Amino acid sequence: MIELRDVAYSAGGRSILDGLDLHFPAGALTVLLGPNGAGKSTTLRIAAGLLRPARGEVFYSGRPISALSTLELARRRAVLSQHAEPAFPLTAGEVVEMGRYPHYRVAPSARDRAAIDAALAAVDMVPRRNQRFSTLSAGERQKIQIARVLAQIDVPEPTRALFLDEPTAGLDVKHQLEMLRLARDLAARGVAVVAVLHDLGLALESGDRLIVLSRGQVVHVGENHEGIDEALIEGVYQVRVRRVPDPAGGRALWRFLH
Amino acid sequence: MSNRGHDTALLATLAIVLAVSLAAAACLGAYGFSPGRLFDLVAQGARWRAARDADAIDRDVLLTLRLPRVLAGALTGAILGACGAVMQGLFRNPIVEPGLTGTSAGAAFGAALVFVFGVPVFAPGASWGLLALPVVAFAGALCATLLTYRVAASFGRLHVFTLLLAGIAINAACNAGSGLLSYFARDPQARNITFWSLGTFTTASWSSVLIVALAAGVGWVGIAPDLKSLNALMLGEDEALALGVDVRRLTRRLLVLCTMMVAAATATVGVIAFVGLVVPHALRLIRGSNHEFLVPASALLGASFMLWVDVAARLVIRPGELPIGVITAVVGAPVFLLLLLRAQRAATGSADD
Amino acid sequence: MIRLRTLRLGAALATFVVALILPGAAGAAAPPAERVVCVSKQLNEFLYAIHAQDVLVARDLTSVYPPEIQKLPSVGYHRALSAEGILSAKPMLFLTDGNVGPDAVIEQVRSVGIPVVVLHPGATPDSAQWLLAELGRRFHHEHDAEQVLKRWRAGMDSVRRDSARVVGPRPRVLFMHFGQIVNNYLGIRSGTPADLILHWAGGVNALDSLGGMSRLTPESIARAAPDVIVATDVGFDRVGSAAKFAELPGVSLTPAARNGRIYRIDETEIMYFGPRTPAAVRHLASMLHH
Repeated sequence: MIELRDVAYSAGGRSILDGLDLHFPAGALTVLLGPNGAGKSTTLRIAAGLLRPARGEVFYSGRPISALSTLELARRRAVLSQHAEPAFPLTAGEVVEMGRYPHYRVAPSARDRAAIDAALAAVDMVPRRNQRFSTLSAGERQKIQIARVLAQIDVPEPTRALFLDEPTAGLDVKHQLEMLRLARDLAARGVAVVAVLHDLGLALESGDRLIVLSRGQVVHVGENHEGIDEALIEGVYQVRVRRVPDPAGGRALWRFLH
Repeated sequence: MSNRGHDTALLATLAIVLAVSLAAAACLGAYGFSPGRLFDLVAQGARWRAARDADAIDRDVLLTLRLPRVLAGALTGAILGACGAVMQGLFRNPIVEPGLTGTSAGAAFGAALVFVFGVPVFAPGASWGLLALPVVAFAGALCATLLTYRVAASFGRLHVFTLLLAGIAINAACNAGSGLLSYFARDPQARNITFWSLGTFTTASWSSVLIVALAAGVGWVGIAPDLKSLNALMLGEDEALALGVDVRRLTRRLLVLCTMMVAAATATVGVIAFVGLVVPHALRLIRGSNHEFLVPASALLGASFMLWVDVAARLVIRPGELPIGVITAVVGAPVFLLLLLRAQRAATGSADD
Repeated sequence: MIRLRTLRLGAALATFVVALILPGAAGAAAPPAERVVCVSKQLNEFLYAIHAQDVLVARDLTSVYPPEIQKLPSVGYHRALSAEGILSAKPMLFLTDGNVGPDAVIEQVRSVGIPVVVLHPGATPDSAQWLLAELGRRFHHEHDAEQVLKRWRAGMDSVRRDSARVVGPRPRVLFMHFGQIVNNYLGIRSGTPADLILHWAGGVNALDSLGGMSRLTPESIARAAPDVIVATDVGFDRVGSAAKFAELPGVSLTPAARNGRIYRIDETEIMYFGPRTPAAVRHLASMLHH
């Protein structure tokens, strides 16, 4: 389980987060919601240990991560964000292999190779292993990146975390849904999965747990949709919305009005 | 990485090419030796065979002039090739090399200071006077490289064109400094500066070769464990950080090591550009960007390349010699333009479906 | 008695030692150097003047007078030499006037066992004449050297006599020499051979500062305001004609340009003293006073 206690962060003279208390349970997909500038990405990066908070501390299963080295951290959590094109030619297999870097010094062991193979199989990209990464479609590239992070957290440790920073940006719907299915599967296997999703509709569809941020403050925390009502969404996103029960059963649908 | 067997075979091939190039460079030139003669003279020098008086001059030319020169060339090529590959990995773009980041120009400026003001100013005790030149060159190279990096980074995300521009600015400043020094220098010193600024292996001696070899050795020991991290850096700074790479420390360490090696080489042979650009580029076309292969391969290929450039410099207008920098520029400038065009096209086009 | 014997023994020993050394010292110059690489254009010209050119096997890039010397291979620019290139001509002697680069080359040639002889030409006609005589001695062309020196000295005497007879205002003359390394025009100052030759020819240097050559800027050319401009061959030829030369920045503002008094001279005539100096003085004088 991941815990943030009294976390504060500012940049460019502006306070982005101030006294944030959050926790991300293992075995669940927690979605961070909020408009631009709310501090979602900052929160995620601090929780992932990529940014050091100006105040406060992050705990993984009770241990402060400031006591961990970058390498130790890399052995128990992975981060997937929007990607710039790698500057140099790489094959798909080489990208996935990098997920195992934190786990070996000189050469990959049999265990590492097994993790890489399993990750490629999980995203159904085994035959594309030796293809140039830059020649894959956007969806396929994202799948390879997912395989990379899967390979990275393929460890026996109970405390494993996966952070997804807008992983669906620019993807076709089909790939977006696949992406989230994978995230939920991982959560089901005990990983603490935290995702920042920009697409409000998608976010409301996906998360086991939803955290809504606005201007650096938590305005809502809840399981599924409990407590999220039209007034909340309208207040945070400045948009008129109507909550509609799904005729086919299941979660409520949300309709955005002009 | 994916195919270590392949990589090893290619590295072995490059090593063989280097060995052949070394022998060829030792033989060829206005003062030429046949391979048999080469072996005979080396044997005499190593005292496996009795030294013959009649061979004294040939032996001296080979052992005190040709061999140090050939080794200086190979070491310089190895350093420039490897550092080019490392810097490209650090800055994540193919149009980076020590000549473009101000490193060589800074080293040249440092060396010019020593030429003009004399070694005693920098090394009051005569015992380490021989090191004065490489050390001051290193200081100059370090300042210039860090300045370039800082200026480029201050524009936010390290974009290839800002890095090139910063490098051009620092290069210009260092060249202006060297030019100013040569303007005020008395005649013999000015001669040294202008001549040496185009790159030459003629002044190499066993002691200068030793210094460059030491720098290369220390640099290699420092860089070799970090090659995997350079791979991770290809995905992006954040991704590398998430994979456990301390990016800031890595960048500092590798920049300092590269600067040290390039400065040592530059202090001995002058300013030679484009090798660090051309050699890694060619290797990437053949074998991709795995730095665990690319950096050692760039060292091997860079060494061979430099040796043949030196042979050309010695043969084209024999018995005169062309400056090395002229030949590498003739080969390297078109490659540089090609890379620039590619980067331009990549920035405006798209590789997506 | 013992002392006397010791003295005689000592004297004999001393004589023996001296007899060993003395011929050795003379002998250091005795064996003729049959293969000489000489990288000084002045020394090369002198060698041809005293007919000793057969010893030469290679020259430097700038040694182009007399024209026959260009048949010899060039080891490069004298300030950008390489020991290997020099040694590949298999010389027995490396001859220079001291103006060589890089510094290491002389040491490298020496370290291989080839003697290096540095003969500085000095700054006066007398020292240049000594140089020619020395070359005659070294290469056993003393007779030829004598002949050349006789003619040279007679020529210089005549030049000095005519120079003493110059009356009236001396035209201000600016020498413009082209430096290929710096890619710029250089002015020749006083205290140089060219300056002295100019004085004998009846002119005065438009640059009044001392020493070697100085970089010329358009302002400095205009400020010098020369009545006559004499450009050396390379610098003149790259522009093409006197009319085009007069259009160069700074030059166009000078009296020399306005009055069309821009002339070309071969640099080897004025950059050092030699047997052709008397003729060079007359050549220059004809430019100044026609």
